[in-house]
Amino acid sequence: MTAYHRIRELLQSGPGVLLDGAMGSELVRRGVRWRGHGLRTDPEQVGALHEEYIAAGADVIRTNTFQLNDRIYLNVFRNPDHRRHIGAPGLETRARDLTHKAVEIARAARDGAGKDVAIAGVMAPLEHCYRPDLTPDAAAARAEHREIAAWFAAAGVDLLLLESMNNIPESRAAAEAAVATGLPVWVSFVMGPEGEILSGEPLEEGASEMTGLGVEALLVNCAPPDDAGLGVEKLRKGTTLPVGAFAQVGKFDPPSWKFEFHPRFSRSDDWPPERYVEKTRAWRGAGARIIGGCCGTDPSYTRALRKVM
Amino acid sequence: MSQYDPIRERVRAGGLVILDGGIGTEILRRDLTWSDHQVLDRPDAIRGLHEDYITAGADVITTNSFQLAHRSILGHFRDEAHMHHIGVPGLDTRAAEMLAASVELADEARKNVGGDRPIAIAGAVTTLEWCFRPDLAPTTDEMREEYREIAEVMKKAGADLILLETVNSVTEAKIGLEAVRQAGLPCWVGFVCDEQGVLFTGETLADAEMSLAPLQPDVVMVNCIPPDDATAGLRELVAARKGPCGLYPHIGRFDPPEWYFTDEYPPPRLLEEAVRWKKMGATVIGGCCGTTPEHIAALTQGLREL
Repeated sequence: MTAYHRIRELLQSGPGVLLDGAMGSELVRRGVRWRGHGLRTDPEQVGALHEEYIAAGADVIRTNTFQLNDRIYLNVFRNPDHRRHIGAPGLETRARDLTHKAVEIARAARDGAGKDVAIAGVMAPLEHCYRPDLTPDAAAARAEHREIAAWFAAAGVDLLLLESMNNIPESRAAAEAAVATGLPVWVSFVMGPEGEILSGEPLEEGASEMTGLGVEALLVNCAPPDDAGLGVEKLRKGTTLPVGAFAQVGKFDPPSWKFEFHPRFSRSDDWPPERYVEKTRAWRGAGARIIGGCCGTDPSYTRALRKVM
Repeated sequence: MSQYDPIRERVRAGGLVILDGGIGTEILRRDLTWSDHQVLDRPDAIRGLHEDYITAGADVITTNSFQLAHRSILGHFRDEAHMHHIGVPGLDTRAAEMLAASVELADEARKNVGGDRPIAIAGAVTTLEWCFRPDLAPTTDEMREEYREIAEVMKKAGADLILLETVNSVTEAKIGLEAVRQAGLPCWVGFVCDEQGVLFTGETLADAEMSLAPLQPDVVMVNCIPPDDATAGLRELVAARKGPCGLYPHIGRFDPPEWYFTDEYPPPRLLEEAVRWKKMGATVIGGCCGTTPEHIAALTQGLREL
């Protein structure tokens, strides 16, 4: 918990908290073939990217676990029996094993850097982050998020960050499961084109619902920089907790083969670090205490943000 | 006159026709990612693997278009408005462009190494939603519209026939087949089935035959299942169907989003199985995920000698 003590102080006073930038999209941009989040095939690249974010000045680094859950290894089969019948060995425990591995890599990067950064275990919607219509029912969501939260607690993270949450009911189930571990919990919503939660539910409502559940901060992410400022304002209307934002730069370039979220973003030249930093001034002006980068960003964004924070 | 005409004659006369092997898994084996079909980014690699299958002896090569459809791209977004808001430009037409490119690459490969032998290009069209999940199937109206669009694009790009593959329900097979026939193309249908040779919907291959026969598919097959399951499927199919039957099983294991290659079925062992399948009544034989040009070469040589 010591690492999080420092974060709690930064939330209260001073320049605020600097979150790192993208893991998945940056690994893909660096040529990592997206399978098992690169954790089995390219662990040194994952670790090196964490190290770069720490060196760039991030206060919080996030595990490379976005949308890593058992569903991505089960949904592509007819049912669990079919998975055993035609699936590769180890698929039943793949999500848990990779989650442990991801935490281990992040911890090793921190130990190597010798800096007191906090490690956020990244949890995400159980189904595709951009498809709120696919969200599971509340009982399934609670059970599965509880399991995932327990993996992180066992592996040893300083906080849990629920990222790109796309609707209020699943956010509630996930937040309750996360809070039950005793770890500090932050919840971040993915925004739709209209400045609401992607499900169409109002951000203010999401913020106020989460505030009653014992979470410590609320954020918006996975939206273009131009949308994030509005998100911060709306969050502030729904909560007195610290709020923040981390936006995506560039455009989502989905795979042509149908599968789970694949973090390929292109054309990030539209938002070079200087322009991104300039944009975050407005978010901070609106009260944002936590700033970082989502898909499409890289350590140069973290470095540029550190200079002004 | 299509290069498929002489092959179709052979199929109708009960002669042997060799289909190609795995495409997506072969992309992986060549160290490329399968998350993208690579028909626009790495055309040389895709053309090259078609050429290898032609050289191995395949009579029919299949386009690299497994589950390539606008639905697959749109499915990564909440809706069209969201896609236009955060997606790269051009996504509305990307699937159609890639489908056309997949046919063109197969055609180029045929021109490059096909020689005088007739080689047909089968446009591969798959279950619109996930191939192993009939519970996710779209409505029949959506299916009709989407299969019609895909068949039109494939036809315009020059496919000789359409291979509806890894189909998981009779309804989807029938609607797909109707769309292909309306586009004026011959059609083959491959079903995915379980260890008993029953479709994942619980429907039987006899149900399928009854429903599809009036639409005259040239060949009905089972595919994308392990060799033993394919044997079970073939047994059901041959019992239910008068026309040509075939199969192309996978070898190895599905390791989402990629493939776990095993040496359980090296080319000589797959050939042994194929000899058995031919005796059971299969006339169209090839390979699905995990099979390689070496497997197809072994089938070509071994089965022709029978």
